[in-house]
Amino acid sequence: MILGYMGLVVSLILISVGVYGLLNSRNLVRILLSSEIIVNASILIIFSASSLIGRVYLPIYFSIFAISMALVEIVVAFAVIFLYYKIKGTLEVE
Amino acid sequence: MSLTNEIQYGLFIFFSVISIASAIFIVRQKNVFYSSIALAFLGISVAVLIALINPSAYAFYSAFHFLLYVGSAVVFLSISLLVFKTLTVKEINVPWAGITAVVTGAILFLILIVTFYNTPTVSTGLTFNLQSFANIFLEKYWFPALIIIIALLTTMIEALSLARGGKG
Repeated sequence: MILGYMGLVVSLILISVGVYGLLNSRNLVRILLSSEIIVNASILIIFSASSLIGRVYLPIYFSIFAISMALVEIVVAFAVIFLYYKIKGTLEVE
Repeated sequence: MSLTNEIQYGLFIFFSVISIASAIFIVRQKNVFYSSIALAFLGISVAVLIALINPSAYAFYSAFHFLLYVGSAVVFLSISLLVFKTLTVKEINVPWAGITAVVTGAILFLILIVTFYNTPTVSTGLTFNLQSFANIFLEKYWFPALIIIIALLTTMIEALSLARGGKG
Protein backbone atom coordinates (compact mmCIF):
# COMPACT_ATOMS: atom_id res chain seq x y z
CA MET A 1 0.00 0.00 0.00
CA ILE A 2 2.80 2.41 0.92
CA LEU A 3 4.62 1.63 -2.32
CA GLY A 4 1.50 2.64 -4.24
CA TYR A 5 1.55 6.08 -2.61
CA MET A 6 5.30 6.36 -3.15
CA GLY A 7 4.80 5.45 -6.82
CA LEU A 8 2.21 8.21 -7.14
CA VAL A 9 4.62 10.77 -5.68
CA VAL A 10 7.47 9.65 -7.97
CA SER A 11 5.24 9.78 -11.05
CA LEU A 12 4.00 13.27 -10.16
CA ILE A 13 7.61 14.45 -9.85
CA LEU A 14 8.41 12.83 -13.22
CA ILE A 15 5.42 14.54 -14.84
CA SER A 16 6.58 17.91 -13.46
CA VAL A 17 10.08 17.33 -14.88
CA GLY A 18 8.58 16.30 -18.23
CA VAL A 19 6.39 19.40 -18.40
CA TYR A 20 9.43 21.54 -17.54
CA GLY A 21 11.36 19.90 -20.40
CA LEU A 22 8.48 20.44 -22.82
CA LEU A 23 8.19 24.12 -21.99
CA ASN A 24 11.89 24.88 -21.70
CA SER A 25 13.08 23.56 -25.06
CA ARG A 26 12.75 24.27 -28.75
CA ASN A 27 14.67 21.21 -29.90
CA LEU A 28 12.31 18.64 -31.45
CA VAL A 29 14.18 15.61 -30.12
CA ARG A 30 14.21 16.97 -26.59
CA ILE A 31 10.49 17.71 -26.84
CA LEU A 32 9.95 14.07 -27.89
CA LEU A 33 12.10 12.82 -25.00
CA SER A 34 10.23 15.02 -22.52
CA SER A 35 6.92 13.61 -23.73
CA GLU A 36 8.37 10.12 -23.22
CA ILE A 37 9.09 11.02 -19.58
CA ILE A 38 5.41 11.89 -19.21
CA VAL A 39 4.37 8.60 -20.86
CA ASN A 40 6.50 6.61 -18.41
CA ALA A 41 5.14 8.59 -15.47
CA SER A 42 1.56 8.03 -16.64
CA ILE A 43 2.09 4.27 -16.79
CA LEU A 44 3.58 4.35 -13.29
CA ILE A 45 0.51 6.32 -12.09
CA ILE A 46 -1.83 3.67 -13.56
CA PHE A 47 -0.08 0.85 -11.69
CA SER A 48 0.24 2.77 -8.43
CA ALA A 49 -3.40 3.85 -8.47
CA SER A 50 -4.62 0.38 -9.41
CA SER A 51 -2.69 -1.24 -6.60
CA LEU A 52 -4.26 1.25 -4.19
CA ILE A 53 -7.84 0.48 -5.27
CA GLY A 54 -7.24 -3.26 -5.57
CA ARG A 55 -7.45 -3.83 -9.32
CA VAL A 56 -4.93 -6.29 -10.77
CA TYR A 57 -5.65 -7.00 -14.43
CA LEU A 58 -6.96 -3.61 -15.57
CA PRO A 59 -3.62 -1.69 -15.51
CA ILE A 60 -1.84 -4.53 -17.32
CA TYR A 61 -4.28 -4.52 -20.26
CA PHE A 62 -4.32 -0.75 -20.41
CA SER A 63 -0.54 -0.42 -20.20
CA ILE A 64 0.15 -3.07 -22.85
CA PHE A 65 -1.88 -1.00 -25.30
CA ALA A 66 -0.37 2.25 -24.02
CA ILE A 67 3.23 1.10 -24.35
CA SER A 68 2.58 -0.31 -27.82
CA MET A 69 1.11 3.00 -28.89
CA ALA A 70 4.12 4.77 -27.33
CA LEU A 71 6.37 2.67 -29.56
CA VAL A 72 4.31 3.62 -32.63
CA GLU A 73 4.36 7.25 -31.51
CA ILE A 74 8.16 7.30 -31.22
CA VAL A 75 8.63 6.00 -34.77
CA VAL A 76 6.01 8.32 -36.29
CA ALA A 77 7.37 11.33 -34.39
CA PHE A 78 10.89 10.47 -35.46
CA ALA A 79 9.77 10.28 -39.10
CA VAL A 80 8.24 13.76 -38.77
CA ILE A 81 11.41 15.08 -37.13
CA PHE A 82 13.52 13.54 -39.90
CA LEU A 83 11.35 15.20 -42.56
CA TYR A 84 11.55 18.54 -40.72
CA TYR A 85 15.34 18.24 -40.57
CA LYS A 86 15.53 17.50 -44.32
CA ILE A 87 13.45 20.58 -45.13
CA LYS A 88 14.76 23.09 -42.58
CA GLY A 89 18.27 21.75 -41.92
CA THR A 90 17.88 22.17 -38.16
CA LEU A 91 16.17 20.50 -35.22
CA GLU A 92 15.24 23.76 -33.54
CA VAL A 93 11.64 24.97 -33.73
CA GLU A 94 11.31 28.64 -34.65
CA MET B 1 8.71 -14.28 -5.62
CA SER B 2 8.52 -12.52 -2.28
CA LEU B 3 10.81 -9.79 -1.08
CA THR B 4 10.99 -8.67 2.50
CA ASN B 5 9.46 -5.26 3.06
CA GLU B 6 12.70 -3.53 4.00
CA ILE B 7 14.51 -4.65 0.84
CA GLN B 8 11.45 -3.78 -1.24
CA TYR B 9 11.26 -0.25 0.20
CA GLY B 10 15.01 0.24 -0.17
CA LEU B 11 14.98 -0.87 -3.80
CA PHE B 12 11.93 1.29 -4.49
CA ILE B 13 13.62 4.40 -3.08
CA PHE B 14 16.84 3.61 -4.96
CA PHE B 15 15.11 3.23 -8.33
CA SER B 16 12.89 6.24 -7.63
CA VAL B 17 16.03 8.35 -7.23
CA ILE B 18 17.49 6.88 -10.43
CA SER B 19 14.31 7.58 -12.40
CA ILE B 20 14.07 11.19 -11.18
CA ALA B 21 17.79 11.78 -11.79
CA SER B 22 17.47 10.31 -15.31
CA ALA B 23 14.49 12.55 -16.06
CA ILE B 24 16.37 15.66 -14.88
CA PHE B 25 19.40 14.57 -16.94
CA ILE B 26 17.18 14.22 -20.04
CA VAL B 27 15.86 17.77 -19.79
CA ARG B 28 19.19 19.39 -18.81
CA GLN B 29 21.72 17.58 -21.03
CA LYS B 30 22.84 19.61 -24.06
CA ASN B 31 23.50 16.57 -26.29
CA VAL B 32 20.26 14.75 -27.09
CA PHE B 33 22.07 11.46 -27.79
CA TYR B 34 23.05 11.24 -24.12
CA SER B 35 19.50 12.25 -23.23
CA SER B 36 18.15 9.29 -25.22
CA ILE B 37 20.55 6.98 -23.38
CA ALA B 38 19.20 8.42 -20.11
CA LEU B 39 15.70 7.60 -21.36
CA ALA B 40 16.74 3.94 -21.36
CA PHE B 41 17.72 4.26 -17.69
CA LEU B 42 14.36 5.92 -16.99
CA GLY B 43 12.53 3.07 -18.75
CA ILE B 44 14.46 0.45 -16.79
CA SER B 45 13.80 2.27 -13.49
CA VAL B 46 10.07 2.58 -14.22
CA ALA B 47 9.91 -1.14 -15.14
CA VAL B 48 11.57 -2.06 -11.83
CA LEU B 49 9.30 0.33 -9.88
CA ILE B 50 6.21 -1.26 -11.45
CA ALA B 51 7.47 -4.72 -10.56
CA LEU B 52 8.20 -3.65 -6.98
CA ILE B 53 4.68 -2.27 -6.41
CA ASN B 54 3.32 -5.82 -6.60
CA PRO B 55 5.98 -8.38 -7.63
CA SER B 56 3.61 -11.34 -8.03
CA ALA B 57 1.15 -9.48 -10.26
CA TYR B 58 3.12 -6.88 -12.17
CA ALA B 59 6.38 -8.71 -12.93
CA PHE B 60 4.83 -9.88 -16.21
CA TYR B 61 4.13 -6.35 -17.40
CA SER B 62 7.51 -5.18 -16.09
CA ALA B 63 9.26 -7.63 -18.43
CA PHE B 64 7.00 -6.48 -21.27
CA HIS B 65 7.87 -2.83 -20.57
CA PHE B 66 11.56 -3.65 -20.43
CA LEU B 67 11.56 -5.62 -23.68
CA LEU B 68 9.25 -3.49 -25.77
CA TYR B 69 10.02 0.01 -24.53
CA VAL B 70 13.69 -0.11 -23.57
CA GLY B 71 14.66 -2.89 -25.92
CA SER B 72 13.11 -1.54 -29.07
CA ALA B 73 11.80 2.03 -28.74
CA VAL B 74 14.73 3.62 -26.94
CA VAL B 75 17.32 1.67 -28.93
CA PHE B 76 15.60 2.72 -32.17
CA LEU B 77 15.58 6.35 -31.03
CA SER B 78 19.22 6.34 -29.89
CA ILE B 79 20.56 4.78 -33.07
CA SER B 80 18.35 6.87 -35.37
CA LEU B 81 19.64 10.09 -33.81
CA LEU B 82 23.02 9.41 -35.37
CA VAL B 83 21.71 10.49 -38.81
CA PHE B 84 21.67 14.12 -37.67
CA LYS B 85 24.79 16.26 -38.00
CA THR B 86 24.33 18.35 -34.87
CA LEU B 87 22.79 16.94 -31.74
CA THR B 88 23.57 19.88 -29.48
CA VAL B 89 20.60 21.77 -28.07
CA LYS B 90 20.49 25.56 -27.96
CA GLU B 91 19.63 26.51 -24.40
CA ILE B 92 16.64 28.77 -23.84
CA ASN B 93 15.36 30.03 -20.52
CA VAL B 94 11.61 30.28 -20.12
CA PRO B 95 11.14 31.91 -16.70
CA TRP B 96 7.64 30.52 -16.07
CA ALA B 97 8.48 26.92 -17.10
CA GLY B 98 9.45 25.79 -13.60
CA ILE B 99 6.41 27.37 -11.98
CA THR B 100 4.09 25.86 -14.60
CA ALA B 101 5.64 22.41 -14.08
CA VAL B 102 5.15 22.60 -10.29
CA VAL B 103 1.58 23.88 -10.68
CA THR B 104 0.82 21.01 -13.12
CA GLY B 105 2.15 18.48 -10.61
CA ALA B 106 0.11 20.06 -7.80
CA ILE B 107 -3.10 20.06 -9.88
CA LEU B 108 -2.59 16.40 -10.81
CA PHE B 109 -2.00 15.60 -7.13
CA LEU B 110 -5.29 17.27 -6.17
CA ILE B 111 -7.15 15.44 -8.97
CA LEU B 112 -5.74 12.11 -7.77
CA ILE B 113 -6.68 12.86 -4.15
CA VAL B 114 -10.27 13.71 -5.14
CA THR B 115 -10.48 10.62 -7.40
CA PHE B 116 -9.24 8.27 -4.68
CA TYR B 117 -11.60 9.81 -2.14
CA ASN B 118 -14.56 8.94 -4.39
CA THR B 119 -13.37 5.52 -5.66
CA PRO B 120 -14.37 2.44 -3.66
CA THR B 121 -11.59 -0.05 -2.94
CA VAL B 122 -12.07 -3.55 -4.35
CA SER B 123 -10.86 -6.22 -1.94
CA THR B 124 -10.32 -9.06 -4.41
CA GLY B 125 -6.71 -9.70 -3.41
CA LEU B 126 -3.79 -8.88 -5.65
CA THR B 127 -3.24 -12.26 -7.32
CA PHE B 128 -2.29 -12.79 -10.94
CA ASN B 129 -2.97 -15.81 -13.11
CA LEU B 130 -1.46 -15.79 -16.59
CA GLN B 131 -4.08 -18.14 -18.04
CA SER B 132 -7.05 -16.07 -16.86
CA PHE B 133 -5.20 -12.94 -18.03
CA ALA B 134 -4.82 -14.43 -21.52
CA ASN B 135 -8.47 -15.57 -21.58
CA ILE B 136 -9.78 -12.13 -20.67
CA PHE B 137 -7.39 -10.53 -23.13
CA LEU B 138 -8.62 -12.67 -26.04
CA GLU B 139 -12.30 -12.44 -25.10
CA LYS B 140 -12.69 -8.78 -24.19
CA TYR B 141 -9.80 -6.94 -25.77
CA TRP B 142 -9.36 -8.64 -29.16
CA PHE B 143 -10.33 -5.56 -31.15
CA PRO B 144 -7.82 -3.13 -29.51
CA ALA B 145 -5.20 -5.88 -29.89
CA LEU B 146 -5.99 -6.07 -33.60
CA ILE B 147 -5.64 -2.29 -33.93
CA ILE B 148 -2.29 -2.40 -32.12
CA ILE B 149 -1.03 -5.19 -34.37
CA ILE B 150 -1.95 -3.20 -37.49
CA ALA B 151 -0.34 -0.05 -36.02
CA LEU B 152 2.87 -1.94 -35.23
CA LEU B 153 2.97 -3.41 -38.74
CA THR B 154 2.52 0.08 -40.20
CA THR B 155 5.32 1.30 -37.94
CA MET B 156 7.60 -1.43 -39.21
CA ILE B 157 6.89 -0.43 -42.82
CA GLU B 158 7.54 3.20 -41.92
CA ALA B 159 10.83 2.34 -40.23
CA LEU B 160 11.88 0.42 -43.35
CA SER B 161 10.96 3.43 -45.45
CA LEU B 162 13.05 5.66 -43.19
CA ALA B 163 15.98 3.28 -43.47
CA ARG B 164 15.76 3.48 -47.26
CA GLY B 165 16.07 7.25 -47.05
CA GLY B 166 12.38 8.14 -47.35
CA LYS B 167 12.12 6.88 -50.94
CA GLY B 168 9.33 4.39 -50.23
